[in-house]
Amino acid sequence: MALLERSEWYDIARATNWTPKYVTDSELFPDDMTGAKGVPMEKWEVYDEPYKTSYPEYVRIQREKDAGAYSVKAALERSQMFEDADPGWLSILKAHYGAIALGEYAAMSAEARMVRFGRAPGMRNMATFGMLDENRHAQLQLYFPHEHCKKDRQFDWAHKAYHSNEWGAIAARHTFDDLFMARSATDIAVMLTFAFETGFTNMQFLGLAADAAEAGDYTFSSLISSIQTDESRHAQIGGPALQVLISNGRKEEAQKLVDIAIARAWRIFGVLTGPAMDYYTPLTHRKQSFKEFMQEWIVGQFERSLIDLGLDLPWYWDQMVNEFDYQHHAYHLGVWFWRPTVWWNPAAGMTPDCRDWLEEKYPGWNDTFGKCWDVIIENLLAGKPELTVPETLPVVCNMSQLPICAVPGKGWNVKDHPLDYKGRTYHFNSEIDRWIFQQDPVRYRDHMTLVDRFLAGQIQPMNLMGALQYMSLAPGEIGDDAHKYAWVEQYRNNPYQRKAA
Amino acid sequence: MNQPEILKPLKTWSHLASRRRKPSEYEIVSTNLHYTTDNPDAPFELDPNFAMARWFKQYRNASPLKHADWNAFRDPDEIVYRTYNMMQDGQETYLHGLFDQLSERGHDTMLERTWAGSLARLYTPSRYLFHSLQMASAYLCQMAPASTISNCAAYQAADSLRWLTHTAYRSKELSKTFGDIGLGTDERAYWEQDAAWQGFRELVEKALVAWDWGESFVAFSLVIRPAVEESVLRALGQSARHNGDTLLGMLTDAQLVDAQRHRRWAGALAKQCLETEGNREVMQQWIAKWEPLADAAVRAYCGVLPDAAGAGDAACKAGREFRQGLGL
Repeated sequence: MALLERSEWYDIARATNWTPKYVTDSELFPDDMTGAKGVPMEKWEVYDEPYKTSYPEYVRIQREKDAGAYSVKAALERSQMFEDADPGWLSILKAHYGAIALGEYAAMSAEARMVRFGRAPGMRNMATFGMLDENRHAQLQLYFPHEHCKKDRQFDWAHKAYHSNEWGAIAARHTFDDLFMARSATDIAVMLTFAFETGFTNMQFLGLAADAAEAGDYTFSSLISSIQTDESRHAQIGGPALQVLISNGRKEEAQKLVDIAIARAWRIFGVLTGPAMDYYTPLTHRKQSFKEFMQEWIVGQFERSLIDLGLDLPWYWDQMVNEFDYQHHAYHLGVWFWRPTVWWNPAAGMTPDCRDWLEEKYPGWNDTFGKCWDVIIENLLAGKPELTVPETLPVVCNMSQLPICAVPGKGWNVKDHPLDYKGRTYHFNSEIDRWIFQQDPVRYRDHMTLVDRFLAGQIQPMNLMGALQYMSLAPGEIGDDAHKYAWVEQYRNNPYQRKAA
Repeated sequence: MNQPEILKPLKTWSHLASRRRKPSEYEIVSTNLHYTTDNPDAPFELDPNFAMARWFKQYRNASPLKHADWNAFRDPDEIVYRTYNMMQDGQETYLHGLFDQLSERGHDTMLERTWAGSLARLYTPSRYLFHSLQMASAYLCQMAPASTISNCAAYQAADSLRWLTHTAYRSKELSKTFGDIGLGTDERAYWEQDAAWQGFRELVEKALVAWDWGESFVAFSLVIRPAVEESVLRALGQSARHNGDTLLGMLTDAQLVDAQRHRRWAGALAKQCLETEGNREVMQQWIAKWEPLADAAVRAYCGVLPDAAGAGDAACKAGREFRQGLGL
């Protein structure tokens, strides 16, 4: 006899539920932390994770993966990536690291919640590896940007962003706290691993790895590919949890969690990934538009996994798909306009060729968003850059924490969706955001948006300088146009002519 | 003129830049990563008082265990994810080599049947105990007020799953030689009913619901884990050697390497706690609360271990010596 196959002993390692005697079951698994929706312990024991691994395999494979990722980094340490890359690519890196590194670390806490409070032993074991994975992802995505700190102060934000009140950081925290950090173990399985990781991050990381290779950043490409292999394993924690909920008559509760998670993930993707794909990435490197990407991965692939599990499409599906046409364009316009308030340099992505591409991918773009950019270009050409920066604050959505915005120009459809609740009026970007609030108002009730804080006098002095101080942004790290406005010169004495159809 | 200073690039994160030395990889990737401790009134960027926010405000922020700067904590071993895997892959390679080699030599067929019965009762049910340690460490991971503490707890949870995995493996392997004594099937019944385990079961069930992060740390890291390690690892390993079970003795020795590492960081954290006035009393109260249950668990278990006279006393004493070494 030699070593046993894993399959021979695997079930023993995940037979770890017992009936407590010295405390009650509901004390050991309090509902606030467990969120089992009334499904009793023994019903969870059919939970069967599709991707199985074990401790010795995990440490061996992860050791090998890390050897790969770190050796690529070491080998390319003296490469000229930083100096040679398009400034738009560096902006993608800065936005990514700042928005993701500490979010991954928060996901470690969420995985730990599943280890402690998950009702299925298989879930608790798999989440133990998931917890280690997220520890890895935080460490990798701090270690890799750290080498750029000495060249560019904005890279400090890989660590700093989540500790600040910068508006994007507030939006990221609100989203991720709601998706996983402040959720029960069962909700985390559904919202973080199934909805967010299977639906969004898995494919985001695939796309980002390809973009990085295209941009010549092989270090980042190998890093992101390596992270994605972990994600695709631990993302599978959610599927069997959903099966347990559905087969025990909890489809409605499960569906609601999925619907909330997808809606929240879509907004944060709209502001981070949308501008990166359709504006920051140099035109020659763009493989598909953000809309095409969403259509392929969210509508094409994720829709199928929802249906396969016996879930329905979220009630707002058509509306969300409709938003693929405009929401991220509106966010991009806002981020570029409010560029001193971000920790990266937004790339306008606004050459005449870019505009042709946008018109092709989003027919009507020039008549709507293009009109706003025409004014910006006019002011820049006239030597009035002060007219292209903000003096006021936008109305911010009480759910997404992002400006309430939509289509400008022809086809204007910007609309507040207010809600009066216990004496306070809340403002939402759409019916979807308002619906999320209505599902669990106490979870969101007394939170204040950045603009609420401003109006309440918490931000002093009440001007842009005061707001920047509140956001911990100072000259030397505040954002400006990624290409130092060089693109504007293409329009001097040469107004944009739309390409004939 | 009131122009703000223009910030220059720094050699490291701004929060580490004031120290006059190059940060280690450990510091770069491990320090100050919990953003939920930044605002004591609202752990999350959500309502400050919904149920989960209250949980963190009560059991983490309002813990009687106080320190002005939890983020100052450093793991004395400075373990990061990648070094953890390198280290533990090496340990697992060693152990699997041992499993393989001893299996080739027919190790289990040379064990006496009475000893096999002891293993079914006193060894293989330990996976429930190890799993409770895994759950407790995961609780500390999510509740600790500093990321450097959470990281130690995360790796410790994984080590506990490691021990559980060894037990599951050996349960199956032993069942191939001793197929009729409930190996791999009866562990839950032993864990829930056998007198040998009820002390530990009571101890961990009660301690798993000690929600205050500080109490959870003190109970598990300073009292329960040492009690488990001194009895279910060390004393069992010694008993095994007296019964021709070379493998189990070597296995528990290997697991105790993890335990020693856990005690190094737990000791460092305990010492940091003792820097703050008032913490000693708080910690001693918790120890006084959990020690009697731990002693009872150790004695119930060691009392039925074959060829282990005095093991209970020795295990209780070792736990106390660990705490005394920390000044507790």
